[in-house]
Amino acid sequence: MAIIRDMIPPFELFQPAGVDDAVRLMREHGDRGWVLAGGLDTFDWFKDRIKRPEAVIDLGGVDELKGIEVADDGGLEIGAMTSLTAVAENGDVRSGYPLLAEASGLVATPQIRNQGTLGGNIIQDTRCWYYRSGWPCYRAGGNICYAATPRSMNREHCIVGASRCVAVNPSDTAPALIALDAEMVVASTGGERTYAAEDFFIGPDIDIERMTVLEPGDLLTRIRLPAPWSGARWYFEKIRDRKAWDFSLVSVASMVNVEGGVIRDARIVVNGIAPYPVRATASEAAVRGQAPSDETGQAAGEIAVRGARALRHNDYKIALTRNLVKRAIRDAA
Amino acid sequence: MAENVIGTDISPPDLRAKITGQARYAEDFHAEGMVFAKLLLSPMPHARVLSVDTSAAERMEGVLGILRADELPVQAEGTREGALTDEPKYEGEPILAVAAVDETIAAAAVEAIRVELEPLPFVLDPLDSLREGGPDAHVGGNVAGRGELSSLKWPASVFEEAGADKLPMGEAPAEWTIGDIDAGFAEADVVVEETIVHQSVTHHPMEPRSCMAYWQNGKLFLHGSTQSTERTRGNVARMAGVEPDDVVFIGEYCGGGFGSKISGSPIMAVPAVLSRKIGRPVMLRITRYEENYIGRARAGFQGWAKIGFRADGRMTALDLYLVQDSGPYGASDFFTAGTVATASYQPENMRFRGVAILTNTPPRSAQRAPGGAQIVAMLEPLVDKAARELDVDRLEIRKLNAPDSDGWLGPQQGPFTSAYVREALDLGGELFGWEEKRQLSGQRNGTKVTGVGIGLSPFTAGSTGRDGLLVIRPDGKLHVHQGIGNLGTHSIADTARPAADVLDLSWDQVVIVWGDTSKHLPFSTVQAGSQTTHAHTRANHAAATAMVGLLQELAARELGGSPSSYRVADGRVFRAGNRAAGLSFGEAARVAMALGGKFSGGEYPEDLNDATKAAVAGLAGEGLIAAARDNYERAGAVYTWVATFAQVELDVETGEVEIIDLASATDCGTVMHPRSLAAQTNGGVFQGIGMAKGQRWVFDPKWGIPFTKRFYTARPPGILDVPPSPRFTAVDRADPHTPVGAKGIGEPPVGAGEAAYVCAVADAMGGLCLCRTPLTADMILAELEGRPRPYGLLDTHV
Amino acid sequence: MLETEVIQSRRGGFTRRKFIKGVIATGATASAAGYLFRGSGVLAPMLSAQGAVERLVTLNVNGQQRRVDVPKQETLAMTLRYQLGLTGTKLGCDRAECGACTVLIDGVTHYGCSILTHSVRGREVQTIEGLEENGQLHPVQQAVLDEGGFQCAFCAPGFTMSMVGMLSKHPNPTREEAAHLLSGNLCRCGDYDKILNTAMRAAELSRSRA
Repeated sequence: MAIIRDMIPPFELFQPAGVDDAVRLMREHGDRGWVLAGGLDTFDWFKDRIKRPEAVIDLGGVDELKGIEVADDGGLEIGAMTSLTAVAENGDVRSGYPLLAEASGLVATPQIRNQGTLGGNIIQDTRCWYYRSGWPCYRAGGNICYAATPRSMNREHCIVGASRCVAVNPSDTAPALIALDAEMVVASTGGERTYAAEDFFIGPDIDIERMTVLEPGDLLTRIRLPAPWSGARWYFEKIRDRKAWDFSLVSVASMVNVEGGVIRDARIVVNGIAPYPVRATASEAAVRGQAPSDETGQAAGEIAVRGARALRHNDYKIALTRNLVKRAIRDAA
Repeated sequence: MAENVIGTDISPPDLRAKITGQARYAEDFHAEGMVFAKLLLSPMPHARVLSVDTSAAERMEGVLGILRADELPVQAEGTREGALTDEPKYEGEPILAVAAVDETIAAAAVEAIRVELEPLPFVLDPLDSLREGGPDAHVGGNVAGRGELSSLKWPASVFEEAGADKLPMGEAPAEWTIGDIDAGFAEADVVVEETIVHQSVTHHPMEPRSCMAYWQNGKLFLHGSTQSTERTRGNVARMAGVEPDDVVFIGEYCGGGFGSKISGSPIMAVPAVLSRKIGRPVMLRITRYEENYIGRARAGFQGWAKIGFRADGRMTALDLYLVQDSGPYGASDFFTAGTVATASYQPENMRFRGVAILTNTPPRSAQRAPGGAQIVAMLEPLVDKAARELDVDRLEIRKLNAPDSDGWLGPQQGPFTSAYVREALDLGGELFGWEEKRQLSGQRNGTKVTGVGIGLSPFTAGSTGRDGLLVIRPDGKLHVHQGIGNLGTHSIADTARPAADVLDLSWDQVVIVWGDTSKHLPFSTVQAGSQTTHAHTRANHAAATAMVGLLQELAARELGGSPSSYRVADGRVFRAGNRAAGLSFGEAARVAMALGGKFSGGEYPEDLNDATKAAVAGLAGEGLIAAARDNYERAGAVYTWVATFAQVELDVETGEVEIIDLASATDCGTVMHPRSLAAQTNGGVFQGIGMAKGQRWVFDPKWGIPFTKRFYTARPPGILDVPPSPRFTAVDRADPHTPVGAKGIGEPPVGAGEAAYVCAVADAMGGLCLCRTPLTADMILAELEGRPRPYGLLDTHV
Repeated sequence: MLETEVIQSRRGGFTRRKFIKGVIATGATASAAGYLFRGSGVLAPMLSAQGAVERLVTLNVNGQQRRVDVPKQETLAMTLRYQLGLTGTKLGCDRAECGACTVLIDGVTHYGCSILTHSVRGREVQTIEGLEENGQLHPVQQAVLDEGGFQCAFCAPGFTMSMVGMLSKHPNPTREEAAHLLSGNLCRCGDYDKILNTAMRAAELSRSRA
């Protein structure tokens, strides 16, 4: 049968008003259902006619999933359906978590941020172009990775964490949330579960067809941020080919706590280099007790890329990661 | 006296429609009973269709018909492209089309069709095809020549000799020389030599080439997107297998073409023929995905250049070798490239060699300065390299080698009509502040290093022999019939300005008639090669001059006296010195209609082109009609030059480059419309920067399939990728070989922007030329960090 | 992937790769088969599954209530263009990348190509056709005329809507801020300089009219 990559095939549409209804519909439709948040990842799949659900469950009307509230512990709770614009412009986010405001504000374009949601940005699928083109790779249930052969075009692919699949996580907000030690709240018919942001993303060694712990029937409902680190410095940088509507080649997010000219604690996360955002724990350990200098940064950068392995066309990511981790320490403000 | 409109800022008359949503582009039309077509595209880069089973699709409710390649009047053969084909030569080439009551059904029907394909060998890289035993893009050959296919292979020794880092240079089918290349190098004090790759790149106009067709009383009505209205009709007629008189082509607005829609598109055949077959109007909405395949692309080059300079910077020898990626159906960029190089440098001795090889990648066509932009971006950094070695200023070395009005062009070394290149370089340098900014070269601020660069880009900018057609109607207004298209350059209005000025008529009395071949349009240039401004200011000047003569003659006949005693101004023809003794244009129109004959289109000059004769005949009796052919003398090639100056900052830790400042200056003759000229120049500069900076064209070499078919992967430049306030100036000196003095501007800026960027980046890297486009952050960073280059020196489509 | 399937069909072998492809494709098509005709206004059943949205929807477009029968999967840009005749909203990519389809929903810019029509029920949609008030051009439209904005202008309606959306939130942007706020729209003619001139002029006009 011939391929055509335009026009969304028909589906049935449900617009639940609450999380309970949504979760019930998700269970009813199982793997023939599809949860629609902002839709910006979804419509690509639909228009390419690669993902063809019978039923689409549109969360646009679930108001309880929208909004940003200060929690009792001084932290923040952000509904998964809150738009990226709302996150980037929210006063509490900007004052307490400028790292997240910055990361959210660098996603794609204003229109996408107006419609795209924080939850959707977190759980979006990889942009490996072989996979997105509908090739039957490991991640699509096949038995080959087209991006890792000697002649593959893999400039955008991973240098860490490959396991058959070499795709990378494309999210801008994910590394920021891990650096901020956020928690992901997940609802399903079995009740509510909470994951540390760091544990929320999984590699192909755990499940090659998913990028997060979410299984069919699971719904990411809220993102919890702990009370802000007082006086912490932060850094976020996204290297991309175009300054709008582009995914990162490599991005870095860091939170650095400096007291008396010495780093007390640091959380450094790199994205775009692995199938999941990578927390540079060895680099974090190495910088504790050191001054946030160029040398400290350089050392942290070198440590971060230990064990990294380039594919045919992405060796630059090793240097880029090293340099961005350096900046994440040296230039944190 | 009416105010002259040449050289003033007047918004084009169609602008209000464009920003109220009233302007209708091809996809905005609807016809009673209209249905939709969808294409089945080849999933392979080269294959033969063995069988097609459409039975399941045809059984689907709502499916109205299927169109196959063998039903088209113009069929694919050899290197001639068809709208549909049974031997697709690139992934995405349309094989058949399905019509259905809506697109959802049409898409489902395409999916229900079973196509059995025999895969054929394919090639993406011209050098692979040049190897003995290497794959060919066509069965039986890899070189296109006047529709004939031939084969060119180089012996293995050619490749061995070159090694991995130098362009192999075997037998070249195209070669010309000026002077003695060896003697030129013998005279040189410095010689630079590089292998250089310029990528292919898709046009991607904002409006995909959607088209809609229906038939009425045996006539084909086709709504499509084109750069040149009058010159598209014949093309559509041929594709539909009918006479031009039986075609009404409507294209009032064109959402960008850049060379990819010069006289329509081959795909227009599909709705034209399918609508006749099923007896319903057919809309073929071309999606961006399809536009990537059928929307044309610039031909890439793998090149080599060796250039000799005397100690003072004068170019003594230019030895150029280009291997062109011609796509499946051919391209001629490389011929132009050699010629354009002479218009930049006037080399004392030169050898040009070139070979154009067919590949199984999307079809090529002219793209804004075809051949010119590529060669300028490839050679300008080498000029800088020599200037550095010679310790000659980079602005000075360009001024030294650039032609003046006594300069020469191409292998024939013919003259230019005018060339104020040094003036443009001086003006641009002044505007940019070259003297101060060149001091910033290599300055480091934190992790950022400054680089500055200059790109000088010539390109052809005119032609002659087109017709102007003017009608003064009884309402007294001057109707300027324009056969040219409305592709966004404002030329439908701006080329009419000489008519207003010659007739001394205020601009609000001018009506532009365009965009529909049933409106009696004169013979026009194809809107390519930046010809329009030059060609049609001349044609309208000629027609307006003829109109003045007719008005004088008519007035003398009505009011007595000699024709030469009458003047024309402000919408009246009157006796010199007595404005009251005369006729208004409206009165003159009525008199002309009563008189008939030569006053109202009953007779016309014999030297008019046929299309214009038909247009005049169609208008006969509707007013005072003047038509004239542009017979003004022109001795020499019409060329425009743009010099662009760029300042960039390169972050040595990331490889990212930011453009801090841009300034451009042009010699394009008399400035017709300052604001539009600046906009077109800046836009062209940005397109060039896009090619140099980040726009991409990537194929999987094993499967022969492109990945850069989305905007986010093809990466045309956005508003944040260019500086917010580019600057512009023009020499504004009339070309003496045209009565209006204006030359074209569409194409020259592209190479200028591209080269200025490439040179500025090289400057920031201490003069290191990476000699390839695009220069993305990954390539720059790998070089700065001393890490392995991500791509081979000659790798293409990466 | 069909490429694989077809490339191998000639050799007639039943390869593992082809087998896996078959499984994926079968699963996908089987689940969609029952819906094959639901996209057609002519053929589609009007009944919806229990609890699902109704096809008939009332839209608020440019201040008017418009009742339309919309397939569940239809995007707003298609409904505007093909059901309501509002062809000012252009489709440049249909993939949320170029911005030619930009419309305002409750005053906020969205890509019309990438939102379901059924998702804008009860919300105010504004298109390029709805900017004029009592025959007076919107300040942004007037600014385009003043500045001679745009070349081919296929991007113009989308840019115009983005400028309208921008000025309602940021009435006084700098040139650099305006570039950031308009970065969701693409102009292939590269007329960004004149577009920013227009944006600044529009801000000026809006302030003087307010």
